[in-house]
Amino acid sequence: MKRCLTTAIAVLLLAPGGRAQQFSSRIEAVRVDVLVTDNGQPVRGLGRGDFEIADNGVPQTVDLVSFDEIPLNVILALDMSDSVAGDRLDQLRGAGGRLLAALKKGDQAALVAFSHAVQLGARLTPDVASVQAALAAAQSSGQTALIDGTYAGIMVGEADAGRALLIVFSDGVDTSSWLRADAVLDTARRADVVVYGVSVVSRLKPEFLREITSLTGGRLFEIEKTANLAATFLGILEEFRHRYLVSYTPHGVPKDGWHKIDVRVKNRRTTIKARPGYLAGDAARE
Amino acid sequence: MSDQIARPFATAARWMLSGVLCAGVSAVGAVPAAGQGRAPVSGARLPAIEEVGPGRLERLEQWLKAAARHSPGEDDEALTEAASWTNADLKKLWLDVNALVQIIRLPPDRRPSRFTVRSADQKRVTQVSYKPAQFRRLTILACSAGGNLNDPPGERTTHGVDCIGAADELDADLRRLSTLVRAAKVNGDDNYIIRRGALLHGDVAMLAPYSMEAPGDVRPTGGLERFRMEISDGQEVDLRQSAVHWEVARMLLDFVRPRGSDHADPGHDDMVRQWYRATASWMQLREDHDKVHLDRARTIFPNDPDILFLSASQHETYGGVPIQAAVRSAVLPTGVTMDVGVERVELREAEGLYRRVLELRPGHAEARLRYGRVLGGLAKHAEAAPELRRAVAELTDPEQLYYAQLFLGVEEMALGNREAARAAYDRAAQLFPQAQSPLLALSEIARRSGDRNGALRAIDRLFTLSGADRDEHDDPWWWYYTEQARDAEDLLEAMWLPYRTDRLP
Repeated sequence: MKRCLTTAIAVLLLAPGGRAQQFSSRIEAVRVDVLVTDNGQPVRGLGRGDFEIADNGVPQTVDLVSFDEIPLNVILALDMSDSVAGDRLDQLRGAGGRLLAALKKGDQAALVAFSHAVQLGARLTPDVASVQAALAAAQSSGQTALIDGTYAGIMVGEADAGRALLIVFSDGVDTSSWLRADAVLDTARRADVVVYGVSVVSRLKPEFLREITSLTGGRLFEIEKTANLAATFLGILEEFRHRYLVSYTPHGVPKDGWHKIDVRVKNRRTTIKARPGYLAGDAARE
Repeated sequence: MSDQIARPFATAARWMLSGVLCAGVSAVGAVPAAGQGRAPVSGARLPAIEEVGPGRLERLEQWLKAAARHSPGEDDEALTEAASWTNADLKKLWLDVNALVQIIRLPPDRRPSRFTVRSADQKRVTQVSYKPAQFRRLTILACSAGGNLNDPPGERTTHGVDCIGAADELDADLRRLSTLVRAAKVNGDDNYIIRRGALLHGDVAMLAPYSMEAPGDVRPTGGLERFRMEISDGQEVDLRQSAVHWEVARMLLDFVRPRGSDHADPGHDDMVRQWYRATASWMQLREDHDKVHLDRARTIFPNDPDILFLSASQHETYGGVPIQAAVRSAVLPTGVTMDVGVERVELREAEGLYRRVLELRPGHAEARLRYGRVLGGLAKHAEAAPELRRAVAELTDPEQLYYAQLFLGVEEMALGNREAARAAYDRAAQLFPQAQSPLLALSEIARRSGDRNGALRAIDRLFTLSGADRDEHDDPWWWYYTEQARDAEDLLEAMWLPYRTDRLP
């Protein structure tokens, strides 16, 4: 959980096209990325009054809701291990390139490439061309440190107060990470980064990606082949743009520990996708 | 040789696992050692009778020459020839070598009319029946391999073979072989051809890896079957039958009589011990795993700390993520299983073996650090931490110390000693400043502590490492599973050296 220290709420500092720079107060706001769909289609036009949020069962006052107007920080964490070679590497580069090309003015992008080694290909930057160049230069070799690479991707998102979307692609299972899955899942519970996973189907279930996408309110795509990977990446971006960013300042709940979040839309039958909760306070530090 | 056994970093390694045919497991077996006859196992099958076809003993003759000519550790013509033999050739050869050794070693009154070869699991017996002309040729070859051609007349039957006139039926190489064998016997070693045969087949397995890929599919063809799974990046990429050179080498060494002994007792022979230690290290360095190999070594040398250490590290490796993932993803033919237990089972095996190593050699600090890691893997954190602290105090090698600090960091964290964990990771980072693992750990600890800026600083140190100047040597964690075998090349050289002389030209 990112602890936003803000005068009112974090998003007020995020003017379109601008970047959050400083926070000056001690009031802690909680941000929740929410996807609202009706029969699979995103629901648009909702405002503050349409949302109900409960924090550990205690109703909260929604401070702000924004939709499709806040720049994105898109972090690509891509598996560049041995198994991603030849056509698959070309397809991965192509899909990443298409995604980067689809970013809007004000969006930022970053690249984390991981095999057994975790490498920062490009820091968060509005200069998408530099990220494209880093992607084109990435080579595949070695084993897969999926958990380490995902952690690094989360931290890239954490380094900036912007709205972070982390897309993790892997075609295998973790074979060489130092960090343990439960430690990185714990980190994800404290972060505002929404993780989407793309995994190539194999006999081994992508349990780590399934868990981390679930607890950050993202989604896991299990694909048979990578030939149409670009469509998957673009679909993720499209879906993320159709999410609402809902903020509230918790009250009436203990400061520490796990906070279960329930988000609803009033008077409508909709499907909600959001993270199930967050860790806060001292209890979050163990 | 160095280019052939260079350390395969995790980046390029393809793990190999050996498996066995589970249904009707069978193996080419060793004859009971002289004086150690074994009673038939209850419920054992009736013996299979092997009729020897024409021309078969020519292969045995070729084998004798190749074994005596091969220079250990070198990819020479003898090795190339042996590498070309099929599994079917090797299985028949094994039966004939058994018969040959029985003729050489058994006294005349125990010379059999049929030769009995028992499988390693004692459940399968094959009787080999030679036609009179074949038997005569076998005895002539035994005169050469037993070093009896030049025995004084009074000694010519003491080895069970009448060698008068045998020299006339042998070519120059086989006559010279007899001289070499005799010279070895004069020096107290009665195992010339056995040792060299084992060295030849072990070298084929190590130096001619192409020969280990038995042609054909993975359907069993009867007798000993070995399968090898090739693993890359945690997933099976190939499964095929494997040539049985390792098996032949091991079974040959079961015949070894130590100096001064009148019966086979490989457990008291230093060359056998060196061979197992060196070859097992080679396998681990190459990530070319074979559980049977170390199981056999442990049976022969149950109290050898070096063998036990390698066996423990093999179980630890089997309990690691790359192999566990590959085994879970593997598609095996019916009746084939891999000799790999689930993570907890493998770690428990490793725990017991490391503990035994430390009982035998309390100053084995590398075993202690690995023991500590395994204890941690089994969630015995309170036991793991003191072992790792002691390892830190005893180790001086930077890589070993790095591992100890990393693993200590994990255990301190598990015990709630956050500052101690942080200090351990800091020390690891100081030892290998280019390594990413301690930086990831420091970042994660800071993040868990609510110190977001500290977490970002640590991860930024990692990102600063990113770039073209990073290489495969940056983080010892990446080759932890081969580090224990780092001296494989030296061990092999030491083992080979005495056998590079006294060969056929």
